[in-house]
Amino acid sequence: MREIVTIQVGEFANFVGSHFWNFQDELLGLASDPESDPIFRNHNLNMDVLYRSGETHQGVATYTPRLVSVNLKGSLGTMSSRGTLYNEGSSSRSVSSTTWFGDVDTQRSEPRKRNLFLQSLYEEEQKVGKEIEDKDIVGSLDEDVECWTDFSKSHYHPQSLYELNGLWMDSKDFNNYGIGKDVFSEASRGEEICDRLRFFVEECDHIQGIKFLVDDSGGFSAVAADFLENMADEYTNVPVLLYSVRSPMSQMSPKKTVSNKLHDAISLSRLSSLCKLFTPIGLPSLTGSKASKYLNLGDEKPYRSSAVYAAALHASTIPFRMQPTSSDSSEVSTSMDVNTLVQLLTGRGRQNIVTILDSAMPAPTLAGKQLENTLLTNLQSLTPEVNEDVEDNQAVESMCILGALRSEDKEALVSEVKNAVDASYEQAITKTKPLFCNLSVSRCPLPVPLPFPSIFGNLVGIKGEILSSPVSDSLYRGSLDVHSIPVATRWRSSSAILPFLESRMGNLEKLGIQWGAMGSDVVRSWGFGREELQEMRENLSKMVSELNPQFFESSDSD
Amino acid sequence: MSVRVLNPNAEVLNKSAALHMTINAAKGLQDVLKSNLGPKGTIKMLVGGSGDIKLTKDGNTLLKEMQIQNPTAIMIARTAVAQDDISGDGTTCTVIFIGELMKQSERCIDEGMHPRVLVDGFEIAKRATLQFLDTFKTPVVMGDEPDNEILKMVARTTLRTKLYEGLADQLTDIVVNSVLCIRKPEEPIDLFMVEIMHMRHKFDVDTRLVEGLVLDHGSRHPDMKRRAENCHILTCNVSLEYEKSEINAGFFYSNAEQREAMVTAERRSVDERVQKIIELKNKVCAGNDNSFVIINQKGIDPPSLDLLAREGIIALRRAKRRNMERLVLACGGEAVNSVDDLTPESLGWAGLVYEHVLGEEKYTFVEQVKNPHSCTILIKGPNDHTIAQIKDAVRDGLRSVKNTLEDECVVLGAGAFEVAARQHLINEVKKTVQGRAQLGVEAFANALLVVPKTLAENAGLDTQDVIISLTSEHDKGNVVGLNLQDGEPIDPLLAGIFDNYSVKRQLINSGPVIASQLLLVDEVIRAGRNMRKPT
Repeated sequence: MREIVTIQVGEFANFVGSHFWNFQDELLGLASDPESDPIFRNHNLNMDVLYRSGETHQGVATYTPRLVSVNLKGSLGTMSSRGTLYNEGSSSRSVSSTTWFGDVDTQRSEPRKRNLFLQSLYEEEQKVGKEIEDKDIVGSLDEDVECWTDFSKSHYHPQSLYELNGLWMDSKDFNNYGIGKDVFSEASRGEEICDRLRFFVEECDHIQGIKFLVDDSGGFSAVAADFLENMADEYTNVPVLLYSVRSPMSQMSPKKTVSNKLHDAISLSRLSSLCKLFTPIGLPSLTGSKASKYLNLGDEKPYRSSAVYAAALHASTIPFRMQPTSSDSSEVSTSMDVNTLVQLLTGRGRQNIVTILDSAMPAPTLAGKQLENTLLTNLQSLTPEVNEDVEDNQAVESMCILGALRSEDKEALVSEVKNAVDASYEQAITKTKPLFCNLSVSRCPLPVPLPFPSIFGNLVGIKGEILSSPVSDSLYRGSLDVHSIPVATRWRSSSAILPFLESRMGNLEKLGIQWGAMGSDVVRSWGFGREELQEMRENLSKMVSELNPQFFESSDSD
Repeated sequence: MSVRVLNPNAEVLNKSAALHMTINAAKGLQDVLKSNLGPKGTIKMLVGGSGDIKLTKDGNTLLKEMQIQNPTAIMIARTAVAQDDISGDGTTCTVIFIGELMKQSERCIDEGMHPRVLVDGFEIAKRATLQFLDTFKTPVVMGDEPDNEILKMVARTTLRTKLYEGLADQLTDIVVNSVLCIRKPEEPIDLFMVEIMHMRHKFDVDTRLVEGLVLDHGSRHPDMKRRAENCHILTCNVSLEYEKSEINAGFFYSNAEQREAMVTAERRSVDERVQKIIELKNKVCAGNDNSFVIINQKGIDPPSLDLLAREGIIALRRAKRRNMERLVLACGGEAVNSVDDLTPESLGWAGLVYEHVLGEEKYTFVEQVKNPHSCTILIKGPNDHTIAQIKDAVRDGLRSVKNTLEDECVVLGAGAFEVAARQHLINEVKKTVQGRAQLGVEAFANALLVVPKTLAENAGLDTQDVIISLTSEHDKGNVVGLNLQDGEPIDPLLAGIFDNYSVKRQLINSGPVIASQLLLVDEVIRAGRNMRKPT
């Protein structure tokens, strides 16, 4: 067994993470439920890869994610930063200080109200109170999710949730690289965060990698960069998979300011130099994108958009925890560890580490009229600024398909999925075929937990199949109508990412480095010297030249 | 106004409104913190939105836990937290001193004085106070044999503001001894070499000093001993786990055998490393019943653990980076980065190594070490609140001892300095100042009194009585501090109440700077948000 430790830094990263852990929690629940579909009961996925077993002081066994989550103070809503499992049993009244005999002065903040969903979880635990209708819960979640804990049903370990205190800053003001620059190193925050991480890594017998989600739209990318730098020292040979996630909201403003553009460039350069694989996720608008063909999203709610990204995250990391028993079992095929994936995508010829993540949610049914075409065309990029029409015969891909359906509601066998994918690549004559494609298949679809947002359109059936005619009038179908969905994702290392890289490199040069550049004051106030900037530009141009061999020739001619 | 043209939502506060906003913010922050000050202050219980409870007596912790939104208050809070970073104490003092400076200024400004003149007065008074501090301080000689009594008194003064007396007095010895333990001649004191470890176990009075180290993890093999005596300690940073190294990245093997071969080769090189360590163990442990303990900064995987366990070796993996340094200081030997450097001389020594398990938490004690230049303060308490309290107090105590050793002087406490400095400013300095800046000096002098006043107020005494009796006693030529039990003047020297010189110095330096900056603000512009809203 090879463990993975997950790290979530920043607001949106925690939203995505919260959905992700809800999926895992649902999988765990379904696996132990004798009444659930057998496909969930023997999914042949090893949950220990992501979870740790422990016990409380009272000797109660616990099973919690190996997770370090970092966020601003006050972002945990109604959840205690110590989690829910390891409470000392004694109620809060007995805490009256034993170290001070003087007076006690109490300052109470306005207590946060639990929403219906959290109330129902709480009452389930206490085994009291009236039943709350699932319908009401789903409705209330759609209305008033404010922070990621509002829809989280997972239990967390006391070491997992870390709040950055003493910043005295709103998340709105915490919006550029400069502002987050010293946050990690100041006031021994970095040390505390690294201690949390060490706690989880020490337990691992043989860690395969670290999955790092960062909301890099603001100051958190600096926090993450410092954190990564520290990790690179400490855990030199542990590969880091970095997902940089952004909410549509953070990219809403019609024109990006100089500061935004510089932030993007600096953030990309710093973060990508500290990980093994860098995957940007976050379209400026999900609603209009092809990725949400069968979905009804709203861009303004992170609760909704993060669900799509979390599904892709879940699917893309499934190969890391397939049980590698008897080469290929009937449930899963082609397990991989983190290192293997990294080598696959970055190690062949080109050393490109910035990859595209495509997703199809729900994935099309295999027996459809022309699956061959639908599967590949349904996979839509979640990475922004990607050139879709590029011909790249050097591309390397790794695809992962979960719970694909054969017909209306029958899960396809692993071999059927494999054949279908082979066929679809054969038929896709229009596009240049990639140099290499890995395929991992699991028969277990993505379960839709109760607190999942109602984002499915009315063409999506109960098992995530695509219907030919709308089932109901409701435009939004959620966890009550759709119980599981097939998902396909694909990592792609291709020159299609070039626009993403080039725009950042260009902005850094134009706005930050050139003499009299518009943003030179901005970068100076963030504390970057000229040399540092040039180093970052070097780094970016190296990435561009990996994908575009002509780049160096053209830049030499200047 | 032009700003309005640029941004219709922008809110502009003019001169007097701006000033009052900042003054009110400063006073507001002062009000929150002032009840904390001193050995008679109150402890704050903060109940968060989720029902989370935090208890703290420490100004620094309190500030960080608060959600401050007012820009002025944030500025003051940053200064106060910086004060703590630099000198390790004085957060609460900074906040109330700045607040009092603003309060005194308000009175002058309401009478028609220009802030600029006040600020000039502050500057003069600040310089004079700093000079006075240098004549007022009590030098102490910290040679090879530091004066333990003085160190204890300083530490006790700090600790008693955070913990009840009995516990504070118990910790005083622990704190002083731990700093003396890590102190090396001719080198600055690195407080990181004192490890602060906590266990949720037993009671606060079970907190103790461990001469050696306590690690927050244990061995990960069921067959390894839980207790060993006479141990050779190997401190190393060597990976003992199988990992695909970058060079052997050829992951596409043409057949399964090749892959197998590659894996075996990798495994073999790990095993060789383990074997080298075992060889060293056999060398040093041959013919005696000594034990061998490995503390590794890198990972150790189960096959390696197996090999080591079979040889009776105790192995800990993923030790904190800082513990590598501490271990060497405590046990001797040196940290080894490659198995090729293994020699018997690189090993350290500990008389006793044992494990303590609490639920899922494991602790490893390395005790009875040869030459402790690093030690651990092991904090115990029945709950997290107690532990957090003691931790805050211990940190401050350590800093105060360190400061004393480095300053080579102390300042009489219990408000003695503030009273003396105030009298000095009023009686001597004010006369030498020309014009209205005199009022600035006076405002500054009165602001200094906020410390004894607040101490008295928190002790339930009448502040005016106290100040009058203190100043009149001072004018008789005595150095006087405040006795918080009865409000009478005492001699802090006899009562053993001492503050740090560097803390006071920093406080007098930074307070007026921020206050002056705030006073000179004559316009506040902010787009889009209502700032009159209270914090």
